[in-house]
Amino acid sequence: MSWFRENWRVATLVVLLLGSSVALFAPGVGAGGGGGSGQQAEAASGPTNLNYGLELSGGVRLRATVTGVTADGVDVTQDNEAAIAEEVAAALDVDRGDVRARVAGDTVEVYQDVAPSDLEAALTDAGYEPDSVSVGVTSATRDNIVSIIESKVDATGLGGADVYDIQTQGGDRSHYVVVEVPGQNATQVQDLIRGRGEVELWAFHPGENGTQTNTTVLRGEELVEVDQPTRNQDGQPIVPVQLSDAAGERFASDMRQLGFTSQQGIGNCAFPNSGYCLLTVLDGDVVYDASMGPTLADDLQSGTFTNNPTFTITANSMEEARNLQVNLQAGALPAELVFQDSYYVSPSFADRYKPLTLVTGIAAALAVAGMVFLRYGEPKVAVPMVLTALSEVVILLGFAAVSGLALDLSHLAGFIAVIGTGVDDLVIIADEVMTEEVSSSRVFQSRFRKALWVIGAAAATTILAMSPLAVLSLGDLRGFALVTILGVLIGVIVTRPAYGDVLRRLLTDNR
Amino acid sequence: MPRFEVPDVDLSQYSMRQLAAPPLAVLVVALAIIGGWAATTGSPVTPGIEFTGGSELIAESDASQSEVRQAFETDPVSIRQVGTGGDQYLVTFQTEAVPDIRDDSDVTIDVVQSQSVTATFGSSTQELALYGVAGAFLGMSVLVFALFRTFVPSIAVVISAFSDIVVPVALMNVLGIKLSLGTVAALLMLIGYSVDSDILLNNHVLRRSGSFWESVERAMNTGVTMTVTSIAAMAVMTVVSYIFGIQLMTAIGVVLVMGLTTDLMNTYMLNVSLLRWYKFEGVNR
Repeated sequence: MSWFRENWRVATLVVLLLGSSVALFAPGVGAGGGGGSGQQAEAASGPTNLNYGLELSGGVRLRATVTGVTADGVDVTQDNEAAIAEEVAAALDVDRGDVRARVAGDTVEVYQDVAPSDLEAALTDAGYEPDSVSVGVTSATRDNIVSIIESKVDATGLGGADVYDIQTQGGDRSHYVVVEVPGQNATQVQDLIRGRGEVELWAFHPGENGTQTNTTVLRGEELVEVDQPTRNQDGQPIVPVQLSDAAGERFASDMRQLGFTSQQGIGNCAFPNSGYCLLTVLDGDVVYDASMGPTLADDLQSGTFTNNPTFTITANSMEEARNLQVNLQAGALPAELVFQDSYYVSPSFADRYKPLTLVTGIAAALAVAGMVFLRYGEPKVAVPMVLTALSEVVILLGFAAVSGLALDLSHLAGFIAVIGTGVDDLVIIADEVMTEEVSSSRVFQSRFRKALWVIGAAAATTILAMSPLAVLSLGDLRGFALVTILGVLIGVIVTRPAYGDVLRRLLTDNR
Repeated sequence: MPRFEVPDVDLSQYSMRQLAAPPLAVLVVALAIIGGWAATTGSPVTPGIEFTGGSELIAESDASQSEVRQAFETDPVSIRQVGTGGDQYLVTFQTEAVPDIRDDSDVTIDVVQSQSVTATFGSSTQELALYGVAGAFLGMSVLVFALFRTFVPSIAVVISAFSDIVVPVALMNVLGIKLSLGTVAALLMLIGYSVDSDILLNNHVLRRSGSFWESVERAMNTGVTMTVTSIAAMAVMTVVSYIFGIQLMTAIGVVLVMGLTTDLMNTYMLNVSLLRWYKFEGVNR
C-alpha cells in the first residue's frame, strides 16, 4: 500500500492513459452516434472513436432570430384571448394571424417587425396594461419553430440535422434558433427555412365590379393528408392532398359560388389578366396558375367531391412540388426567421483539416521536444517531459471520445494551449528539482512542493482567465476555453505532478 | 551537440532606469499606435467580419486572383491567397449574405467554405468578446493580488500582462491582422502564459531565500526556458498552419509569438526593475 501512496499520481496517469486509449480506439466504445448534443456530430468513423463537429466534418450552421415583439404581464384569459388579438392586429395594422395572445404566461406576441413601443401603446389603448414589452418571441413559439424546422428538414430527407434554441448574453435579440445540417450547402438549407412556408390556394376570378379578385379558398392547415409529389396525365408535377371534411365542403361551396363550376369558369384561365384560375401561393407569391378542369368542376357541382375531398396542388417543377410538399407537411412557421450568421464548409475541405491539424500539432510538439533536449541535454529529463505533455493530449482526446464532444478547430486550438501551459509547468518542475544535486527523497519533496505552488498559482490564473469565455456564448471560443480549463486541471492534478514523481525516481536512483 | 543555454545576463550592471525605460517606451508607442488607430478608424483594432458583419468565403479555383475577384456579383473588399498551394483564395465582402458568382463568369470557382454574419449579430459578439477579455483580465488581477498580498509585486504582474496584450494588439494593426475570435482567444491565452513567468519571478524573489540577484537569475533560468520553448512551438505552428492554410491556428500562433516575445522583455526588464525598487527601497519606506 505504501508503494501506492507514494506513486498514486503515476498510477493514476497510467490508468487514465489506458482508459483513454480504450476510449479512443476500441470499437463500440464512446458516445458516437448518441443522441442529445452529439447529434450534430458525424457518427464516429475512421480509426478513432472521436466525433467531429461541423467545422471538421462539413455542413451548414445557421443562426437566426425570430421576428416578433412580445408583451409580458398582460391579463389574458380564455374569454378575452381572441378579442385582444383582434384589437392589437387592427391597431398595428397587421394580419390577425400575426398576433397571438397566450393565456399560459399572460403574453401577447406580434410576429411582425413592429416597434415595442407601438405594441405597448396598442395594448394600453385597448385597456390592457403590459408589464414590459420587448423584441423577441416566447419560448413556446420558439419551441414550436424548432419542431417545425425539424420536421421540414426531416421531410426533405436531410439526415443528422440538429435544430435547437440558444440564449446569449448580449444584445436585445438574445435568443437564436440554430440549425445544423451536416454535408449540405448553405443556400439549400436557407431556402428550406426562408419565409414561413405558408402554402395557400387562391381563387382568381372576376369580382363584382369587373376587376379581377383573389380569394383564399384553401389553407395548408386544412389538409389532413399530403402525399409524395407525382405527375398528372399531362406530365405536370403535382402534390396530391386530402382535405378535412369541413374544409372540403367549404371549398366546394366557395368554388360554386365564385363561378368556377359554371360554363365560363372551366378551362378559362388567362392569369394575370382575366378568367378563372386556381393559384398555388407560397408565402404570398403566386407559384403556379391552373385552370379549372371539367372533371373536378363536375365533382364539385354534383357533390361527389365532398364524399372524397382529394385535390392536387400543381407546381412548375418536381423540385418546386417537393418544396410545396415539405411546407404542407411540416406546416407554416408562426413567424419569419432572420438569418444572423451562417457558416458552411464543404465536407471534402473540412476533412482535409483533420490530417493537417494533426501534422501541425506534431510539428509543434517536435519543436517543444527539440528545445527541451537542447536545454537539458539529458534524455532522463527531456524524454519523460515530452511524453507527459503528449499524454495530456491523449487523456483529453479520450475524454472527448467518451463524452461524445464534437471536436472543432477551436478545441484543437485548446489542445495547443494545454501543451503550452504543460511545458511551462514541466520546465518549472525540472528546474526546481535539479538546481542542486538531489540527495534524498525528502529534499526532493520539499523542492517539489515549492514548484507546485507556482504551478498551482499559474493554473488558477489561466483557469480564471478562461472562465468568462466558458460561460459567455461566443460559439467557437467556448469549446476552446472548456478544453483549456479541463486540460489545465488534468495537468495540475495528475500528469504534471506525476512527471515530478518519475523524475524523482530517475534522479535519486530509488533514493 | 549544440545546447540551448539561457544566456547569463548580469542585469545588476544596469540602472533601474536603463532597464525599465525600453519596455515602458514600447508600451507607450503601442498605446500611441492604438490610440491613433482609434482616432482615425474609430476602433482600436480593425475588427474582422465576425464583429462587423459581412461575409467571407474560401474559393478554390485555377484562375488568377484578379479573375476570381471579378467573378462575384458584388465587388469584394479584399482577396488574398490562403496557404501555399496557390489555388485557394480568401475573399471578403461587405454584404451580409455570400454573393453569387456572376452568370457570365467563365472561371470555374468552387466555394469550399463560407461564412456570413449580420451587423447586429456581429456587434453583439463584439460586446461579448469585450466582456470576456475584460472579465479575464480583471479576474487575473484580483487573483494575483490575492496571491501576493503586496501592492508593488502584484501591480508589476498586472502591468506586464497588460503590456503583453497591448503590444501584440498594436502590432496587429501595423501588420494588418484583423481581430477575430481566434485572435481574441490568443490574447486570452497570453494572459495565462505571461502570468506564468511573472508569478515564477515574484515567487523566487519574495518567497525564497538567497540574494535578490541570485533569485532573479534562478527565475530567469527557468522562465526564459519556458517562454522560449513556447515561442518555438508557436512559431512552428504558425509557419506550418500557414502553409496548410489553417487560418485560425495561424492567427493564434502569430499573436502568441508577438505576445510571448513582449513578455520576455517585460518580465526581465520591467518586472525585475519594479521588484528591485520594492526590495531595496519600497520596503523601507
